[in-house]
Amino acid sequence: MSARRVWALAAVVALAVVPWVLARHQLSLLTDLLIAGLFAMSLDLIMGYTGMVSFGHAAYFGLGAYASALVLLNYAQPIPVALVAGALLAGAVALPVGWFSTRATGIYFAMLTLAFAQFLYALAYKWRGLTGGSDGIAGVPKTTLVWGGPSLASPHAFYLLVAACVVLSVVVCRAVVRSPFGRALEAIRENERRFTSLGRDPRPFKVVVFVIAAAFAGLAGALFAPFRGFASPEVMFWVFSGQGLMMVIMGGIGTLIGPILGAMLFILIEEVLSSYTEHWMIFTGIVFVLMVIFLPGGLVGTARRLGARA
Amino acid sequence: MRRRDFLKVSVAGAAVTSLGVPAYLKTAWAQGPIKIGMPAALSGGNSQYGIQAKRAADLFAKDMKSKGILGRPVEFIFEDTGGDPATAVRKAQKLVEKDGVKFLTGVVLSSEALAVSAKCPEWKVVFMSTINGAGSLTAKSYNRNFFRVNTSGPMGARAVSLYLAEAPMKRFFALGSDYAWGRDSVASFTSQITAAKKEIVGTDFPPVGTKDFGSYIAKIRQSKADGVYLVLVGQDATIYLRQAHQFGVNREVKPIMEILELENMKAVGDAMVGAIGSSRYPFTVDTPKNRDFVKRFHEMHGIYPDMFDGETYEGLEWLVQVIQKAGTADDIEKVIEAWEDSTYDGLEGQFMMRKCDHQAVQPGFAVECVKDPKYPHPIPKILATYPGDKVTPKCRTEEFS
Amino acid sequence: MADVLEQLLNALALAGLLFLVSAGLSLVFGILRVVNFAHGVFYMLGAYLGFTTVALTGWFWPALVVVPAVVGVLGALLESSTLRFIYRRPPIYQLLLTFGLALILEESIRVLYGPTAKGVEPPPLLQGAVTLGALVYPRYRLLLAVLGCAVGAAVWLFLRHTRAGLVIRAVAQNSEMAGCLGADVARVRTLVFGAACALAGLGGVAAAPMTTAYLGMGIGVIVDAFVVVVIGGLGSIAGSMAGSLIVGAAQTWGAYYLPETAMVIMYAVMGVILVFRPWGLLGEEE
Repeated sequence: MSARRVWALAAVVALAVVPWVLARHQLSLLTDLLIAGLFAMSLDLIMGYTGMVSFGHAAYFGLGAYASALVLLNYAQPIPVALVAGALLAGAVALPVGWFSTRATGIYFAMLTLAFAQFLYALAYKWRGLTGGSDGIAGVPKTTLVWGGPSLASPHAFYLLVAACVVLSVVVCRAVVRSPFGRALEAIRENERRFTSLGRDPRPFKVVVFVIAAAFAGLAGALFAPFRGFASPEVMFWVFSGQGLMMVIMGGIGTLIGPILGAMLFILIEEVLSSYTEHWMIFTGIVFVLMVIFLPGGLVGTARRLGARA
Repeated sequence: MRRRDFLKVSVAGAAVTSLGVPAYLKTAWAQGPIKIGMPAALSGGNSQYGIQAKRAADLFAKDMKSKGILGRPVEFIFEDTGGDPATAVRKAQKLVEKDGVKFLTGVVLSSEALAVSAKCPEWKVVFMSTINGAGSLTAKSYNRNFFRVNTSGPMGARAVSLYLAEAPMKRFFALGSDYAWGRDSVASFTSQITAAKKEIVGTDFPPVGTKDFGSYIAKIRQSKADGVYLVLVGQDATIYLRQAHQFGVNREVKPIMEILELENMKAVGDAMVGAIGSSRYPFTVDTPKNRDFVKRFHEMHGIYPDMFDGETYEGLEWLVQVIQKAGTADDIEKVIEAWEDSTYDGLEGQFMMRKCDHQAVQPGFAVECVKDPKYPHPIPKILATYPGDKVTPKCRTEEFS
Repeated sequence: MADVLEQLLNALALAGLLFLVSAGLSLVFGILRVVNFAHGVFYMLGAYLGFTTVALTGWFWPALVVVPAVVGVLGALLESSTLRFIYRRPPIYQLLLTFGLALILEESIRVLYGPTAKGVEPPPLLQGAVTLGALVYPRYRLLLAVLGCAVGAAVWLFLRHTRAGLVIRAVAQNSEMAGCLGADVARVRTLVFGAACALAGLGGVAAAPMTTAYLGMGIGVIVDAFVVVVIGGLGSIAGSMAGSLIVGAAQTWGAYYLPETAMVIMYAVMGVILVFRPWGLLGEEE
């Protein structure tokens, strides 16, 4: 077995075993980290593999969260139903947005994604009847695995659900990236003009990957709502999108696993530092700037470089 | 800032045990300190309010130094939420699961409060609001573990409406920030002021974070209103007042604010003199207890207490009394029972914790922003005090009889 | 009639403010190809430094010169110590670096000044209002409109008609070639970045009497500035002017006639423009 396979297997085993090892609050934190990691990984699909920078990715996380919250609170369906609802809603909205936004490239594309995201944010904010407005939707319950099936209310059970979702998502995303479709994405990232000159239209590829990435972000949001028990407009705000970008870079752009680790690093830094000082943002900013300058490959990229040298 | 602000009553503990106290107190000491968790917005745009909660806690800790509760020291644990509900829930969960707190307070935003308090029954902790004004917290979103010590938004609107019902002004424009608090307060004010046979001549809801109120000011002036009811988030209120002053509109249309706070007065200064409104806690309340509190506060922090400084201090003092009465800080059900229907002699007057919705019935104040040479900034002068039962809405609702 | 004039003046004042903020942003992108997320924080820094200057000296007018200089120098220092090393990398890195710088600067300002907003009084000459027929309009706002125009004209003339401006434009078009022809590319970049920050700082000082200096000012303005720049076309000063006028008008009249849309009107306008001209009104095709 290759070294990579060993690492992967070890990680899955660790994830499975962890509920019996960690204290309750540590398990809660890990669940949180995994959800954020899934969000960051979904962003890497468009950022790392296709070279598209999106300022509005948080909107799809938010759509997933709201869909999930409404399904669980109003219809008391099993959680997987809420997850599917979240991913579908996010993907469905991403389709027209992606189609419009990909008319432009580079920073203009990014600004269009931001504009649409802010639209959705404003919608969530103002449509009080549906979304609870600025207060959001609170009291979202953790329901069951299947109709009449085991409850997922305990921290252990819910954690295992999240871990399973994340592992599955990684597997699926890897398959996407390794497929011919994935290769085409990388070609577009490397040199879009050449791609076009070879007679292929990059736009459908870009739209499809945008939708896929949005669906995974929606899945992460759909897990978030029952975990934290609420959905509110803040999770759709562009600052959260910006944090997602930071997580991807910190972890290693274009590596899928990297952004998951980057999300963990980002949140852990905040957790630890904010306990020591209320000015933790300065230190986070410094760490980040240093990483951008000296460790552009992020955690995974740097690890691979060091590994290759050894 | 140190991670944990340890406010130990070590001297008292040692003294008490060395005097050979009854066995049950010794056991209580062995249980460790009573922890109060404060997931407050200490950074970001709303940090000025989180810092008020912290200031109050610091003073309270100092006052508690030689006392303790049930023979146990009090420990405050602060976490920074940045004003974000997701972070607030995360930090609150950490306080509950890792630090074992049974009491959460100091939460700043109503959106944070709604998210955190919804989890409190599951966590089996008590949530004490000293800042959150959203009417729904004691109405639609009420749960048994939630207690509100502060004046709510509807109560503030009520105090203003009662005052205006007697005032000569007849026509009002309402300007609220476009989110829950702004919308709800304007609605509440509208229904009350029309019931008092006065007129609303226009409403507008600028987005949170509006930099330029020029268009709104133009509309307000054109409406020929006597007064404009303002429900704007702290920063926006400051900007509006300055710009309205620059346009000269403040002279024509009197600013009436649901919350008239020192933060605005310090930032806006004299341009705000003459504004009226409601204050959740005006530091100028003239009772011996409050004068003493203001003096101690000023000695410790060098400034005068603003609304949430006062309300948080009152909440903490009341909570401690309730814990003493319940005889336990660990059995939350007993604390809840002890709190319901209890009374408290606060800085502003008498409080009573209603059992039906856990809203503290307390006096409401109509105030005016005036200049006073004794102070470095304008201060709130009390125009009228309304008894608790006149300003508190009907149980579990946001309506008044 | 007075109402229409008032709204027009409001739109112009807002446009002036937006232009001061976005001109620098547009320059940095056009010439350095960097999306500077820290731009809003330099604006905020300008406002706070303006407050300090007025508090220390009692004078406002000097602040209009001193503060941009200070902010510009700070910007230049930051550029030469951080950005300079990563120009060859994909643009996302520069963008995120500026994001990180923004975090550091914003929190530092909070440490220095505390959370309460700081009021700045306009200079006595510009206090109060001027009566134009039936209309009573604040004097200070007129300054913003005038300042925006003056600065815009100055920058445009500089770039078009001076030798230094020529060098800058050359570096923007083809930095390697310009370097071969003897231009000190690194220094040009540092100077342009510093100048852009100075413009943002000037915007902040100018804004402070109208909006007060407050935390969150940076985040509040950066998105508006991006929209302006994108509408106008990145790298074009005339584009930024056009964008500022369009956004200023949209926000002013939008707030007046369609208040429910106030939150999104500027994005709607941007979206429509980008549909027909994906590189902005006066931008260049990539």
